[in-house]
Amino acid sequence: MLIRKIVVAVLLAASYTMAFAAERTPAPKDAVVYIVWPSDGAVIRGGKLWVRMGLRNAGVAPKGVCMPNTGHHHLLIDTVLPPFDEEIPSDRQHLHFGGGQTEARLEDLAPGKHTLQLLLADCNHVPHDPPLYSKMITITVPPY
Amino acid sequence: MKTMTRNTTACLATALLFSGIAAADRTPAPENAYLYVGWPNDGEVVPANQPFRVWFGLRNMGVAPKGANVPNTGHHHLLIDTDLPPLDQEIPSDRNHIHFGAGQTETTIELPPGTHTLQLIMGDYNHVPHDPPVYSRKKTIYVR
Repeated sequence: MLIRKIVVAVLLAASYTMAFAAERTPAPKDAVVYIVWPSDGAVIRGGKLWVRMGLRNAGVAPKGVCMPNTGHHHLLIDTVLPPFDEEIPSDRQHLHFGGGQTEARLEDLAPGKHTLQLLLADCNHVPHDPPLYSKMITITVPPY
Repeated sequence: MKTMTRNTTACLATALLFSGIAAADRTPAPENAYLYVGWPNDGEVVPANQPFRVWFGLRNMGVAPKGANVPNTGHHHLLIDTDLPPLDQEIPSDRNHIHFGAGQTETTIELPPGTHTLQLIMGDYNHVPHDPPVYSRKKTIYVR
């Protein structure tokens, strides 16, 4: 009786995991997400810049356009990677580029050090499996 | 004489009708859309018989794969050693007109020694340039 319960529990857990995993879009093979510009350690006077978002071996598609081997960019500012199994938050630290943009204009970075990191997500804003993200870089905005 | 006038009128009417249809077919370009070859630079010397990366720069507009009809988007076309194609029809697809219908934002190409030109033009989901067309400045590179 106990064994049967355990088996049922294990089966339930397995099916739950599978259902969950099935929701995530497989990552395009060999895809690389990276920040083309600025470079790590760059000094940005005035705190205004265009961030160029780079993607290799995959394509960009706007949100809602679910096509294989595509995704759209998300720029993480002064924050760490969010959970990979749910929608990426949308706030001042998680900028969504659901219009298929490949450059991000930042205009209000305060003086000090800031981190930038890119995370690609599928048509539903959920990271791919495995997730595709860039190295985190640090830039410095000198005092105005 | 009367017949000829009538023929001319019919001809003109047909031409007008046709241009009306052609114009209606073209996708409006977003205001301030700016397309440029991010790399290589104009005048760059690139090693021969060795693949090099071409980075596509796009501001105030997004990328969408072919077939995805999303406002303010398009996909990249790289023109190699050729002038702009007719702007009111599908961009040709050959060795001089490379399509990036999967939403790619960069590519790797290899060119024989000599002087070459690179230029980008956006096409809509049907590969037709926008109205007004969104294209980059033409860059000259030297392959040695």
